[in-house]
Amino acid sequence: RQHKISGVSSGCQQGGCLTCSDYNGCLSCRPRLFMHLERIGMKQIGVCMTSCPPGFYGTRSPERNTCTKCRSECDSCFNRHFCTRCRAGFYLHLGKCQENCPEGHVRSDAQRECV
Amino acid sequence: SERPALRALIKVSLLKHEPTGKPIILEGVFVGGSAGKAEGKLMQYHPLSLCNTSEDERQESDFITIVKLEHRVPRCLPLLDKARMALDKGAQAVIFDVSDDTNAAAELRETDSLPRPVVLVEADDAEELMGLVNKNEEANVVIEIKMEPKWPHYD
Repeated sequence: RQHKISGVSSGCQQGGCLTCSDYNGCLSCRPRLFMHLERIGMKQIGVCMTSCPPGFYGTRSPERNTCTKCRSECDSCFNRHFCTRCRAGFYLHLGKCQENCPEGHVRSDAQRECV
Repeated sequence: SERPALRALIKVSLLKHEPTGKPIILEGVFVGGSAGKAEGKLMQYHPLSLCNTSEDERQESDFITIVKLEHRVPRCLPLLDKARMALDKGAQAVIFDVSDDTNAAAELRETDSLPRPVVLVEADDAEELMGLVNKNEEANVVIEIKMEPKWPHYD
């Protein structure tokens, strides 16, 4: 039972894969693309993307470029330590999402920021 | 002499079918000294998802992880660490489909320190399980130790 490599079958349909398999989707990506592990119900398949989806940030390394989930209180971020938009109930201050703002700042619910 | 590996019974009930439907009975082999009972929703994890402990999705209910191992995916961690990581992520048990990764079985059989059941499946049993995953057929899985028939006594 030879898996189709980059053939057209359920796991390998989307482009960008360097290698792929029916069940796991992309196993590795073409150069410069990011590997994102996408959850679809009970399935989790590899998808190769030019940039990571909202809620994830890209990390480059010699072995592979991957999309990693932002911290839980963060809707979107540059990296693990620098958030750009907070989840509801949190307020952005100096790249961090906090439930309260420091002295001299007030919470803006519209922007979810300390202003 | 080497202790024979305990076999596992894997009972699969499809959630979207009427409850009277008979479960699908498959078999596997326990590894890592972890034989025992476990139950949960079947959840596939990509082999690359067990590489680091980044902020990860949290499942609401009890779940059993299934991972199809591929020899073409470079091992980011030893398999024992992957199994432990899957259990740390909250899985009640882990099923590894080793059909396409023949070294996996040997790698996991050398240990017996895993806290919850880890089972290897291959060939038809693996194909059936992964077929359900591929069709996104939500399923509840019960893993038990398969009781081998005792040798009859000859007086």
